[in-house]
Amino acid sequence: MVIKIDRVKEYEALVEIYKKEGLDTSLFGDRIAAIIISGDKIIGLNNVEGVEIVGEEIENGVKAEVRIADGTELPFPIHLCTGFLKDEGYQRVIFDITIGKNSKVKFLSHCIFPYAKDFTHEAYAKIRIGEGSSVVYEDEHVHGEGVKMFSKTEVEVGKRGRYTGKFSLTKHRAKDLKLEMTAELDDYAVTELVSKIKAVKDDSVEVKEVAYLKGSHAKANLKTTVIAFDDARANVINEAYGLGDYTKGHVECHEIVKGNADVQTIPLLRVKNDKAELTHEASIGRINEAQLMQLMAKGLTEEEAAELIIKGLLRE
Amino acid sequence: MLVLRNVTYSTDGRKILENINMRFKEGMSYSILGPNGAGKSTIAYILMGVIKPSEGKVLLDERDITDLGITERAKLGITLLWQEPARYDGITVEEYLTLGGKLNVDTRDVKGVLEIVGLPYELYCHRFVDRSLSGGERKRIELASILLLKPKYAILDEPDSGLDITASELIDRILGYLKKVGTTVILITHHEEIAKKTDFSYFVCGGKVVRKGFSDEVVEYYKRACGKCPLLEGMSDGH
Repeated sequence: MVIKIDRVKEYEALVEIYKKEGLDTSLFGDRIAAIIISGDKIIGLNNVEGVEIVGEEIENGVKAEVRIADGTELPFPIHLCTGFLKDEGYQRVIFDITIGKNSKVKFLSHCIFPYAKDFTHEAYAKIRIGEGSSVVYEDEHVHGEGVKMFSKTEVEVGKRGRYTGKFSLTKHRAKDLKLEMTAELDDYAVTELVSKIKAVKDDSVEVKEVAYLKGSHAKANLKTTVIAFDDARANVINEAYGLGDYTKGHVECHEIVKGNADVQTIPLLRVKNDKAELTHEASIGRINEAQLMQLMAKGLTEEEAAELIIKGLLRE
Repeated sequence: MLVLRNVTYSTDGRKILENINMRFKEGMSYSILGPNGAGKSTIAYILMGVIKPSEGKVLLDERDITDLGITERAKLGITLLWQEPARYDGITVEEYLTLGGKLNVDTRDVKGVLEIVGLPYELYCHRFVDRSLSGGERKRIELASILLLKPKYAILDEPDSGLDITASELIDRILGYLKKVGTTVILITHHEEIAKKTDFSYFVCGGKVVRKGFSDEVVEYYKRACGKCPLLEGMSDGH
């Protein structure tokens, strides 16, 4: 890993936060393809065979292109680390990711804003997945109390390609979160979009997951879980469009509410092909009474039982 | 001793249980036998504190526990195997059995109880207690959970439902283990073969106890009633 000499302290600070949060610090090793961003600077960059990351510092942020060669199979994930170590400010990051044919890669994206009190983060990612490739993109966040975040990911999944997108913000404040993930699928392509979010106090969460099943036999599974406590607000929209022959889509949203939280879920299924099949499943409300009582019958208090159930629901 | 004294339970203007009297002595095994809709599960819920009786009392060692909630009763050593165990997304079998690490047991204990219910630890410890498990697997895990708790009183509501043809042997193993650790078993069933495995039985029908005694005798009576309610069918029991 090449670290900018004048940014070593920031780099070390990020590594320390990874340790404190129980994140994998081996991701900073030389075998890992990575880009390390702090504020509007690229402080570390590492390429490995088959992976080319080109970064550019732009106003208030960073733009990076990631290109994966055809037939690349990596034993380790590609590490995208975006940090902001001040307590206020604005940052935007733009990722343009192209995966060649028949490749198999995993991205681990970490957004590290532990001290944020009044901070706005905007992220935009465009991901193109070549024919027969399989991509997993996991997005995990470490937030301070005051993060306003807008994240938009657009994915094009080529023929027989597979994309799994996982977003998780369960251990820290969501505060003000707008999350949008859209996938367009070609023939026999498969996607799974999974979001797990815990909102507390006066947090405001908006999640939108969309799948356009364009190619024949394309499949999509969109799943959102939101736990909303206190005065938090959450709005979840899951959309699936059955456009191609024999496409299948399933959208699922589960929201658990406690206190004065205000949540809503809107599944939108639209079919423009009589061979397409779309389904949805939603639950919204308190923690399931039977689940609670059965744990309480083993000696847990209601709070302990709820904690265990929520831990499971938010498991990554 | 766990006692139901003059317990009546009504809901929506309908009497589900009427003047139920039952006594469960320490270390013994009991069955509450009766057809579907007899009120057996309602008795289980009243014993566990899931619902409160409209009239009457629940006593534990002469202490009135009628107003105690589920957790408080569990802490006193009473537990219930639900007829349909709930599913838990994202919780592994091991986490579930150890109650997220709150139960003071080790891996050897977990392994042991899974073995008794016929589930190899290595294959199941990391599986989730969710819809990926079959009904039979889920039931076995629930039984393992009861064994691990080593309660003073285990109320088992239809423990054989959802299980395959080896259910009878499994129930034998469960009862054997619970007897060994001194647990009083209260087994709720509509199967006479399962009821026969216990020391004493109550035949419940139409919300009333219509017969009580040694299990063999009560089961014989139940068989003659063809599993139906003599109160509803007008059968004379000759007593």
